[in-house]
Amino acid sequence: MKTLKIFLIIFIASITAAKAQFTKAELQVSGLTCSMCSKATEKSLRTLNFIGDIKADLNRNVFVITFKKDVPVNLDQISKKVQNAGFFVNNLKATFNFDIVKVNNNAFNYGGDSYRVVNGEGKTLAGPVTVTVVDKGFAPSSVYKKYTTADKAETGRVYHISI
Amino acid sequence: MKIILLSVILSGMTLSAFSQELYVNTEPASNMATHSLGIRLENQGYFNPEYKNRTSLEVMYGASKSLMVHGTLYASDYYQHQQHLEGGSVYAKYRFLSIDSVQSHFRGAVFVKAASISNPVYNQEIALEGDNSGFQTGVVFTKLIHKLALSASTSYLHGFNNRGYDIPATNARDAIGYTLSAGYLLFPRKYENYNQVNLNVYTELLGKTNPGYGQSYLDVAPAVQLIFNSFFRVDFSYHAPLYNEMTRTSKNTYLVRLEYNLFSVF
Repeated sequence: MKTLKIFLIIFIASITAAKAQFTKAELQVSGLTCSMCSKATEKSLRTLNFIGDIKADLNRNVFVITFKKDVPVNLDQISKKVQNAGFFVNNLKATFNFDIVKVNNNAFNYGGDSYRVVNGEGKTLAGPVTVTVVDKGFAPSSVYKKYTTADKAETGRVYHISI
Repeated sequence: MKIILLSVILSGMTLSAFSQELYVNTEPASNMATHSLGIRLENQGYFNPEYKNRTSLEVMYGASKSLMVHGTLYASDYYQHQQHLEGGSVYAKYRFLSIDSVQSHFRGAVFVKAASISNPVYNQEIALEGDNSGFQTGVVFTKLIHKLALSASTSYLHGFNNRGYDIPATNARDAIGYTLSAGYLLFPRKYENYNQVNLNVYTELLGKTNPGYGQSYLDVAPAVQLIFNSFFRVDFSYHAPLYNEMTRTSKNTYLVRLEYNLFSVF
């Protein structure tokens, strides 16, 4: 019985790791005003190995990113690439496929990093859900300052997201 | 004269109520994208009293998100009968301030430039664009609001003796430079894709003073810019003096430039 329990836990955990992941994101970049700047930003983003495709809306300064299926997504790298192009992330709305992941104490793990949900306490999330990253590097200071806490992850970094 | 000057400046400001920050005659506070490469081929010159022109080849590189560097070679017949290689310059710009929102930003940068040139020194102007060996450092601030970009800079220049030719003892070795630029994105009215041709118009004021020598000038430099496929740029400009109390070659000059950009190359 105990073996079965352990087996089940490992089984669920492995499903979680396999299925729960980012599928796409809508990235709004601040400071962009010319198509040359947008092109430089898109080219910079395309160097990331987990990005499958990018569609740019040049009027709204929005990049719709489709992630590759089997490559872990690193959100910090997205922010870094935008800053390398000379701009900043104003807003990042990512679609996370929760499937089995349950938000325990408003937190879950993905790709070695911890994610803290700053709203919607105890809500069971299923299927694709759009989450907005509210950390520094992903939002204007008026937003990220509200959510600055001294969270420490056991491994990796802590992202703060709102649902 | 002052009224004419003022009206020209004001009309420049009004026009500027419509432009972008890829200035033709100055550098904005923004930098190129990291690991991007820009190559510029430029020709400028004048027709009176005889046709003379200078060609320069400039390579620009985004070293990091805050730092970009330029290297330029100059060749002209300004000081000799035949075209010859005059020397080169290096330039670096560090962006220290960025206040960005979705369609506007305010940025500040410091820059340094050094040039080594082999021409004889006939001019009172200290210019590091092929005329003088020297050193320049300054600050630039750029404010961009949707389709309009305003930029201002001030700098200190110090002239060294050119290679093989000294600055005459009666000439100034120190100068102050200042620029005010406005640019407006005229077309496209609405972006649809990267392949649309962009048309930017600019009005720039370019001035220098040699303190203590009573030598100064202020040019107005209108410019038109076309950008093709978001990476190939063509610039046209003309420098006309609003007032001129300085011997120099940069008076009444045209400028034509081709610029090719390669993004995320390394």
